[in-house]
Amino acid sequence: MTEAERYALIRQYAAGEITWHALRERGFDDYVQVLGALGELGLRPPIAPMTGPNVAARQRGRALLRQALRGQR
Amino acid sequence: MRRANADAPCCAKRCGDSGERAFQPYCHRYFATLYVVLADALDVLLRPGLLVSIPDAVYVEATRVRGAPGADRIVEWINAHLDAVRIIPTDIGIDQQRRLEEGRSIRGLGEQAAIETLERFLRSDPAAEALLLFEDTDVEKRRAIVDQRVSLITTGDFLRELEAARLIQSADYVLDQAAARGRNVERQHGAGEDAETRERLRDQLARRGAPEF
Repeated sequence: MTEAERYALIRQYAAGEITWHALRERGFDDYVQVLGALGELGLRPPIAPMTGPNVAARQRGRALLRQALRGQR
Repeated sequence: MRRANADAPCCAKRCGDSGERAFQPYCHRYFATLYVVLADALDVLLRPGLLVSIPDAVYVEATRVRGAPGADRIVEWINAHLDAVRIIPTDIGIDQQRRLEEGRSIRGLGEQAAIETLERFLRSDPAAEALLLFEDTDVEKRRAIVDQRVSLITTGDFLRELEAARLIQSADYVLDQAAARGRNVERQHGAGEDAETRERLRDQLARRGAPEF
């Protein structure tokens, strides 16, 4: 994979167009490589919008975490 | 129990007790840890007040390479918080050791170990519930087939909740720091490889009697 291809994949990843799973299949072995390339491009790791097939389970997860955090105050 | 998706990297268990819920173990995966290691924010993992359980294969992935980013800090952090952090032995971890000895790939074993840990948690207690941490892009695109007792959270969701609770200043700051330090680590690795290559070349030339440079 050329550097240009590598950076193109990272841009797609940062935009949420491809997944970490896909990056691994394309040759990224280590998440440090991903973070490093994101840093080189001045990008940050993507945060998923609350969409997709797992929304209900994610909403439950956030509620559980919020409850745990409240318990610490 | 239905199986969790193979990319379900992180779990937490809580036990019901006469209606009052108390969180117990909480385990996570390498890349999630990397964010906070590289952002010098490992302690955020303790903010929810959960017992942190790290599957053995995940621990090995994160620390087996000497000089790997954050490896020393992870070891120091675990030792500084032995009351709140523990390593969970798994069958996958045993397989990982065997593969390492045989020089075979260990890709994906950390995730499998996290799933094994989760299943053990759920089997051990009918009232157990779990929280799985997914990488953000994977959770958005891939269906996680999980037990009803299992909830999901992404690294981004986790940081956003900490931000909302004012336990960290900014989720974006943590992510930016992780990317910036990841870049520096990659550059250091590159420079290290160059130095090693130069040294090997120098040795070869010296053996041939070529002049030093």
